[in-house]
Amino acid sequence: MKTTHIVLIGVIAIAVGVLIMASGDMGTYETFAEAAKKEGTVKVVGYLSKDKPMEYNPEKDANSFSFYMSDESGAEKKVILKAAKPQDFEKSESIVLTGSIKGDTFVATDMLMKCPSKYVEEETRVKAAI
Amino acid sequence: MEQVNYVNEHLLPGQIGHFLILLSFVGGLLATLAYYFATQSQIKNLADGAVWKRIGRVSFITHGLSVIGVMGVIFFIMINKYYEYWYAYDHVSNNLSMRYIFSAFWEGQEGSFLLWMFWHVILGFVLIVKAKEWETSTLAVIALVQTFLASMILGLYFGPDDLKIGSNPLVLVRDVQNIPLFDNPNYIIQDGQGLTPLLQNYWMTIHPPTLFLGFASTIVPFAYAIAGLWTNQHKSWIKPMLPWALFSGAILGLGILMGGAWAYEALSFGGYWAWDPVENMSLVPWLVLVAGIHTALVSKNTGYSIKTTYLFMLLTFVMIVYSTFLTRSGVLGDTSVHAFTEMGLEWQLVIFLATFLILSIALLISRRKSIPSPKKEESAYSKEFWLFIGALVLIFSSVLITFTTSIPVYNKIATFFNANAEQLSPPTDVIAHYNKYQIWIAVMIGLLSSIAQFLRYKDAKGFASKYMKKATTHLVLAAIVAIIFTALATQVININAWQYTILMWASWFTIFANGDYLVSIIRGKIKIAASPIAHIGFGIMILGTMASGLNKDVISAKTLMNVDLIEGFAAEDAGENVLLRKNLPTQMGDYLVTYTNDTTKGQSRFFSINYKRYSDDKKLLEEFDLEPNILYDRQFSKIEASNPSTKHYVHRDIFTHISALPKAEMEPRFAKELEDSLKYLPYTISLGDTIQTQNYQVVFNGYNANPVNSYYRPKQGDVARGAKLMVQLANSDSSATWKAMPIMLRRGESQYEIADKIPELKFKVKFAAKHFEQERDLNYKEYRFKVGETATIGKYEVTYEGIEREIDRAKYGGVSETAIGARLKIVNTETGEDTIAVPIYYLDVERSQQFNIPEEIRSWGLKFQFASPDPKTESIQLFIADNLPTEEKIIVEIAENALHDYVVMQAIVFPGINLFWIGSLLMLLGLAMGMWQRRKAIVSADS
Repeated sequence: MKTTHIVLIGVIAIAVGVLIMASGDMGTYETFAEAAKKEGTVKVVGYLSKDKPMEYNPEKDANSFSFYMSDESGAEKKVILKAAKPQDFEKSESIVLTGSIKGDTFVATDMLMKCPSKYVEEETRVKAAI
Repeated sequence: MEQVNYVNEHLLPGQIGHFLILLSFVGGLLATLAYYFATQSQIKNLADGAVWKRIGRVSFITHGLSVIGVMGVIFFIMINKYYEYWYAYDHVSNNLSMRYIFSAFWEGQEGSFLLWMFWHVILGFVLIVKAKEWETSTLAVIALVQTFLASMILGLYFGPDDLKIGSNPLVLVRDVQNIPLFDNPNYIIQDGQGLTPLLQNYWMTIHPPTLFLGFASTIVPFAYAIAGLWTNQHKSWIKPMLPWALFSGAILGLGILMGGAWAYEALSFGGYWAWDPVENMSLVPWLVLVAGIHTALVSKNTGYSIKTTYLFMLLTFVMIVYSTFLTRSGVLGDTSVHAFTEMGLEWQLVIFLATFLILSIALLISRRKSIPSPKKEESAYSKEFWLFIGALVLIFSSVLITFTTSIPVYNKIATFFNANAEQLSPPTDVIAHYNKYQIWIAVMIGLLSSIAQFLRYKDAKGFASKYMKKATTHLVLAAIVAIIFTALATQVININAWQYTILMWASWFTIFANGDYLVSIIRGKIKIAASPIAHIGFGIMILGTMASGLNKDVISAKTLMNVDLIEGFAAEDAGENVLLRKNLPTQMGDYLVTYTNDTTKGQSRFFSINYKRYSDDKKLLEEFDLEPNILYDRQFSKIEASNPSTKHYVHRDIFTHISALPKAEMEPRFAKELEDSLKYLPYTISLGDTIQTQNYQVVFNGYNANPVNSYYRPKQGDVARGAKLMVQLANSDSSATWKAMPIMLRRGESQYEIADKIPELKFKVKFAAKHFEQERDLNYKEYRFKVGETATIGKYEVTYEGIEREIDRAKYGGVSETAIGARLKIVNTETGEDTIAVPIYYLDVERSQQFNIPEEIRSWGLKFQFASPDPKTESIQLFIADNLPTEEKIIVEIAENALHDYVVMQAIVFPGINLFWIGSLLMLLGLAMGMWQRRKAIVSADS
């Protein structure tokens, strides 16, 4: 057997090992109920409850934005995002939160929101443009 | 359906464009076939090859010109703002500046496909001229890819289910929309939706073309690899391919780097790299390409690693297509911030990807026996062996990145088989996840790029050779110097984990070993300097990422307010945003930061943020202003974008962006609501006295006849009087004082009370209606005087001494030429004291109205008004009140906790970020130099 083959096998072995390790970092998307049972940070997908209050008062705390989100099972919970209120938040279609449950609220350290493509609501927009 | 004849549409360009799209598709298909047959004839040495080649050329040139034509048509439609076309409507608007027309063009998926195709066309043209015997085979590959890409913009519908093939960039709005508007044959769309403000940026004009040239250029090494396998010329394809691969490496690298620069300079996420899926998937092909370049060098010099080179060059392009699939199919939706939205072409993209993946694998397998490889195995002391290992490390890196980035794909596949499959999520801390593996990759690359640099091809002697001993000495020396420099650097750069110490050492080692190689082994010969220069660049780049990444200092999280005042406050709880009240300095890290001013230019509002740094003995060391801005939409109804501003120093950057504003300014519709909700309380203040409000002490220091305040600028003809107020914090040791000046103003016939504010105190003050009632309580009596006459009012004798014509204009606003004063002498008969009063009368010529400015003698309780002169009888009419309270009082209304004049911002210091840019550019320069040398070698070999 050539040295290169041995090296190759070695590298593949390490690669498989590292990939298995790396996949340990992956999680699954949780609901609030599941998140409550878990320790540490989790990801929760859901939708903004548009009828519930959103609060961002930078004079009180510039790094706290609260709103309500319902997860994929339909359960609703208050969320506190430890950051400023993102622009166009009202328009978000779905939200992915990273954080953990603390008491009654979900405290999010990071949030990714999916905004509607430009193609939604276009009827109203075309009208507005005419 | 009823046919409507629309009057205002410009259909001709669309029809020409449609035709050109079809022509480009057909041309591409024909070129593929013709070049295929030409290549087959070439392999079999048949005579008809020349004919096929000619057909191929004509078809490809037709295809290329059509692509350029389609782009021309789209630009024409966009520049002329023919909003009946969806592309113009969706990406252009009336107020879009022409310099962003390119950004608008590639904002859309169709436009960016065309941009990609455009570069393929240009590269194809170059190959037609330059590739000689490789023309037919490489062009066949390029034409096939182009056919696939052209199909993405076809916009045809097939079959009963209306299967969509491609998305046509030339559709009309009324093809997409079915709204009543289009029942009107005279309809006109007046304005388009315009370009996302985030893309209205010069980076967006240059970044996509560069990145797409980088993407597109990977097709050349790919085409050569396919051609080599196809025609069984396993050795000769590498030499002409190599300069192209190096070119591609340099340009793709530059494109990625520009993306980072754009993110850093124009977006507000505060950094140049965030391991976002879209970023990752542009990096991965580059890594594979660089691995391929290294194995290609091995193949060219030793004949080893040809199979690997094939594999990597094929994989580079396949990864480009995979990347295209990920970013354009909408798969990344949940995990990336800047993926395109879906346009219904997922299956077409999958077929595109599958075709080239299967073609690559099939060719490699079918030719595996005929690919030569030396019988003798590489020596462990040879350069080729370690280059090969280095390439594997790079591939390993890209496998890891792809593995995590592809999570949404696993989910899609799982859902395809089982609709309820559990969805995997990316790691909760993505950046930490990638970094923890990639730092070891970087360490290995650093070590290998230094050691392999000193090794020689086909060297089997190992330490037996004299050179090897010398090389070892050099490397050991570099390692020692690197230890010293690591120790020194850790004094400046805060390293928080041992892993990073090793990475730091590896970077220094790379810099010194390669630098040493450059100086003492190849003695600065520029011809062969490409590789050490690129590797030095790599070392510097890694140093830069550590300096700027590990020591990135969010100083806005470290304000006194945040950290010192709250007990038990943990630094990690600090949010990154801080609220800065106007003119109230806040200490952030080393800087005293003050929001001083804001100005509106067009739709943008710029905020002046002043930074000052003092030495321990309070000497000002540095001062600068940053001007982050926000962009409102056209109606000023909401904020569309927040653009950061960065102070660049050689050794560090200070980055600032606005993350929020008061609600009233985020959405101006709240402004009135806010004023209405202010809670004013009345206060009476005597001259010179201090009163206590809820939070402040307020002193009334008299009147100013020429007042100016935050809401009032004097206009000609105004008669204004301001109350000088001094405000201090109550219950505070601080001796800081602020000034406020509420104003009463007479402009024309109207009387106004103008408030004043002290934003940093959230303090607002205005005259109360009651203040003016004081005047009402005075018992004015009318008097008529001729010169020299005297009247007795209580214990005072008032004598009219005559008219004064020299009146200080400041006293009455200075518009009227007819202002006169009545000179009065008042004698206190009890004490014998006397004094002079000159009440003023004037006529506003323009409005032909009479006004007067009264004069008071406070301590005697007298007030005089000069009501009118009577020229006929040479008398004057005066009103005199003798019950003026001897104490001067103002009655004002003060609102506290009322004002919202602040910004919420983020400030980050990036030390050593220039090392990152310099290192990266040096690495790309190395690639470009390599390309230049390889290219020159080919030219000189030919001649």
